[in-house]
Amino acid sequence: MKERCSIKLFCLSLLFFLLAGCATPGSNPKPYRVTSQGTVVYGEEYEFVSPPVGWNLFWPEGEEEAEEFAFGFIRRDPGPFPSQSVFAYDEEPFGFSTQFEEREKEFLKRFLWNANLRFEVLERKRVTVFGREGLEVLVEGKDPIKKEKAKAKVIFGKRGERIVAFYLTQWRPLDGTYDPSAFEVFDQFIKSFKFLKKSFYETL
Amino acid sequence: MEGHQRNLSLYDRFNTRVVGVSVDDVTTLKSWAASLDLTFPLLSNVSGFLGAAFGVQPSPEIKGFPVFSRRTVIIDKTGIIRYVRDGSPKYKEILLFLKKLNQQGE
Repeated sequence: MKERCSIKLFCLSLLFFLLAGCATPGSNPKPYRVTSQGTVVYGEEYEFVSPPVGWNLFWPEGEEEAEEFAFGFIRRDPGPFPSQSVFAYDEEPFGFSTQFEEREKEFLKRFLWNANLRFEVLERKRVTVFGREGLEVLVEGKDPIKKEKAKAKVIFGKRGERIVAFYLTQWRPLDGTYDPSAFEVFDQFIKSFKFLKKSFYETL
Repeated sequence: MEGHQRNLSLYDRFNTRVVGVSVDDVTTLKSWAASLDLTFPLLSNVSGFLGAAFGVQPSPEIKGFPVFSRRTVIIDKTGIIRYVRDGSPKYKEILLFLKKLNQQGE
């Protein structure tokens, strides 16, 4: 039956060749505006309350980076390298599953993969994101060679049927102390975050 | 490639099958596919004749090695090449193109 159906289906084939080659990065115009209410509208698609002074907005410069995350904020923290906090909204987080637990595994397999951190899950709980069910995961990774560590909070939510994610990573020297205020700012940011229109995939 | 894996259900909706082609050997591809949990077929074409057949150029960045640049090719049900793009796949563009082809019955 399946075969019969597949015969009826069109036989569009899509081939892609792997390996090497990079797209040429381009520069983007400023992608955001501040509304009269003081909120920020990013890409005419998302609206949120900007984090306090000290957090600087950054966004992908090239096409390949744009595939990796939508935009984020970074704060240089007091203390020696690598003391900083970074959070981002990601429309296409690593992985592909539409089930949160599966996606968490896929995501953590590749999250900060080049930093050589082995993450340990500290906490995992169901949360509400955009008024729907989501998953929050708190992880910590250490690199004894570079004497660095990072604590990250990842929040998975759903936009349409696809999983999106917010993640905050706080970097510290191995003997450094984490600053919980960044995590509070992150939580407030997510609470204020809303979509202004349907996603590309919801309209496809 | 995760992007293609993520979009498999959408490719299904547009009656499309996705196949990856690489000059890597089977063992390398198996390991790579497993690391990304890819479920669609990957073809090992060590001699690179498929790449050459589709006009893919050797990568200018790795001279002296048989490595092809990335190219995305969409072939319709009659075997006609309808879309070619070099570089990283533009997933949204691909989906819009497939949607259009599907609506046209091609």
